[in-house]
Amino acid sequence: MIDCPEAVRRMWAYLDHALARGATEEFETHLDACQRCCGELEFSRHLKELAATSGAESVPDPLRRRIEMLLGGGGTGTDPGTPHD
Amino acid sequence: MIATVMDAQNQPDADGDVDEPGRAFADVAREQLDGLYGYCVRLTSDRTQAEDLVQDTLLRAMRAYPGLRDETKVKSWLFTIATNVWRDLGRARGRTPATVSLDDAVREDDFSLFATLAIEDPFPYSDELHLDFLRLFRDEDVQHVFAQINPVFRAPLILATIHGFSCKEAAAILDVPLGTLLSRLHRGRKQLERGLWDYALRNGLVKVGDEP
Repeated sequence: MIDCPEAVRRMWAYLDHALARGATEEFETHLDACQRCCGELEFSRHLKELAATSGAESVPDPLRRRIEMLLGGGGTGTDPGTPHD
Repeated sequence: MIATVMDAQNQPDADGDVDEPGRAFADVAREQLDGLYGYCVRLTSDRTQAEDLVQDTLLRAMRAYPGLRDETKVKSWLFTIATNVWRDLGRARGRTPATVSLDDAVREDDFSLFATLAIEDPFPYSDELHLDFLRLFRDEDVQHVFAQINPVFRAPLILATIHGFSCKEAAAILDVPLGTLLSRLHRGRKQLERGLWDYALRNGLVKVGDEP
């Protein structure tokens, strides 16, 4: 069975579903027996959510207007209204 | 159907991807714009540079769009272009590209925010010590901490944590092997943890030690 340092090392990869099946099973077996790592996993999940929600952005209006001109007016010598296939 | 610039009939699916063939680039760009802008803001840590990056990305994407074969991958396609444009802009400005491998040069950071909070116990009367700590942070606080993370490690963190790309997709966008991506992601998260703790101390969000 893996120890706590190894479980912590795998924790974020586990949340990202990036662990291989064997590594996932070892990690989950450790969780079954370790309340501390269950707590850290829950904390990591909340930390991930905090980071994710802080990254939401809305395009400022002046930039949106410039992009609309770009999309509507071409600007590259190509016609964006031309079907692409 | 003949797609036009103003044609907005087609909508993305739940994942923000587009599965209808023959859609106008303008429609695709509008649907992805907020996400793309958010990526560029976090990547550059500078809103002016982010605006330039968004525009340059869309110009390059507009030219390349006729060659895009799989429209279900349009989001990762746009983010890949943005990453490449950012690299090119960096080279043009003489900046070291953010994606140069520094793995061997950066020491492993074993800081644990979870363990530090348990040891320092900044909220002695709290039943939710760890969550109370996270609740201290406003979006702008987290954004400030993000900006301090080494760009090499920040980019994977942005893609996987904020924009929901799988590690495999993030590796493809950054053009690095999956193992490298996972290593950088781990270090990015360690820098995020340490950054949040340092930020909280520096800005008086928590007090530890002998302070009341």
